[in-house]
Amino acid sequence: MQEIELEVNGVRRRLSVEPRRLLADVLRQEFGLSGVHIGCAQGACGCCTVHIEGVPRLSCLTFAVQCDGASIRTVESIGGVRAEHLLQEAFRSEHGLQCGYCTPGYIMTLVPFVSRMVEEARMPEDEEIREAMSGNICRCTGYHGIVAAVRKAIGDQMAASGGANHAG
Amino acid sequence: MRPTPFEYHRAESLDHALALLAEFGEEGRPLGGGQSLVPMMNLRLARPAHLVDINGLPLDFIEVEGDVLRVGALVRHERYLKEKVIGERFAAFHDAVQWIGHPTIRSRGTIGGSIAHADPSAELPAVAMLYGATIIARSANGERRIAADDFFLGAYMTALEAGEMVVAVEFPLPPAHSAGAFMEISERRSDFATVSVGAQITFSGGSITGARIVATGVELQPIRAIPAEEALSGKPLSACEARAAGRAFAEGIDPISDNVASSEYRRSLAAELTSRAVEKACQRALEAGQE
Ligand SMILES: Cc1cc2nc3c(=O)[nH]c(=O)nc-3n(C[C@H](O)[C@H](O)[C@H](O)COP(=O)(O)OP(=O)(O)OC[C@H]3O[C@@H](n4cnc5c(N)ncnc54)[C@H](O)[C@@H]3O)c2cc1C
Repeated sequence: MQEIELEVNGVRRRLSVEPRRLLADVLRQEFGLSGVHIGCAQGACGCCTVHIEGVPRLSCLTFAVQCDGASIRTVESIGGVRAEHLLQEAFRSEHGLQCGYCTPGYIMTLVPFVSRMVEEARMPEDEEIREAMSGNICRCTGYHGIVAAVRKAIGDQMAASGGANHAG
Repeated sequence: MRPTPFEYHRAESLDHALALLAEFGEEGRPLGGGQSLVPMMNLRLARPAHLVDINGLPLDFIEVEGDVLRVGALVRHERYLKEKVIGERFAAFHDAVQWIGHPTIRSRGTIGGSIAHADPSAELPAVAMLYGATIIARSANGERRIAADDFFLGAYMTALEAGEMVVAVEFPLPPAHSAGAFMEISERRSDFATVSVGAQITFSGGSITGARIVATGVELQPIRAIPAEEALSGKPLSACEARAAGRAFAEGIDPISDNVASSEYRRSLAAELTSRAVEKACQRALEAGQE
């Protein structure tokens, strides 16, 4: 067992873990964060995506011991208990989800992408959106709804942040 | 499934890492980005007793020294897309990186890991061969410099010995009158390549003076397409010989057959992608000539 300290969604906690335990399992089991979904455990489906130091990472390909001292965010930290982040709202209105299993991974992958587009004040082509989400697999939607949700979230967020010039 | 038990060691310095790797021998493995090793451990295809986490080591440099580009073992794939020297001097390298996995993988996976893992269809081993790179390996016994052409021995097999790790990859800067391109076909964008081909040409006065062409997806390690290279020598840049080069290569190969693609399909992809990569390289050469 190895002693580590993690800061998860703003809460700091020390715990003892076996080195072989995946961050995904530790977040689910020790922190009770069931929004961290595990699909393939091989890095192909993106369901387990969380932010480590603000960067999307696959928690199924990360050992918890590697994260000693790190700051981690899961989908539970996005949009409050009612999931009111503009991207989450757009997933609802644009049919960006059906069964919802993959959704936390999409949200964690795409929130930084949406923010970057808003910062750069540009609406990406669909191809760029699809590339950004190419690490996530969705078996329900056929992806069109997700692409539409990303576009809507970028537009809405630009409008909310003072209507930066919004091409496309 | 989850990994079998192991001990985790965080390397504090390169010497520390090398001492640990020397101590554990076959039982120890460096942990880079973990984007290949952890999936293998989750599937229990790899069961190392000791992981030596090298992520804290100062091996994330990209530097040009004289006519060599040195890339540290911990450089993450996504970084090449932002490096000016890669975009300007190593176009085929730049093309190839965009085909590696997906953005989350590219922000974590390292060149040291990709080279050492030696997946038969990985891009960076092919890129290393394309530019005639040298792999710099270190162990507690010292340094070895291994030509990329001699490094990849088969699927997941390299010239690295137990206790040795990659510390850097050195790419000779291509000469001024050169151009390259990298082409790939994969089932889905984020998948490993079915077949990929990189081409790098040197030219003078509108003609090709030398070519180096490397393909994955034909054998279990990247191979040079020597008949195609020979077919191009002395030919005009106007690229009309690209198809002939592709055919010359495809005629002499007997590609692997697997659940992804038949041998015949791989052969036709090898011909087509060689042709496209050469054509693109020639187009870039002509554009550079016009500036
Ligand atoms: C879904 C998915 C898709 C992918 N698609 C592609 C793709 O299209 N193309 C592609 O090329 N790759 C692909 N990859 C693999 C990815 O590029 C990996 O990052 C890379 O192969 C290994 O790098 P790493 O740093 O993650 O290595 P790790 O996983 O940490 O290590 C891999 C192996 O190399 C050893 N190792 C690590 N660093 C060193 C070192 N410095 N010296 C010696 N040995 C070392 C480890 O011990 C291990 O045996 C994909 C991965 C996933 C999960």
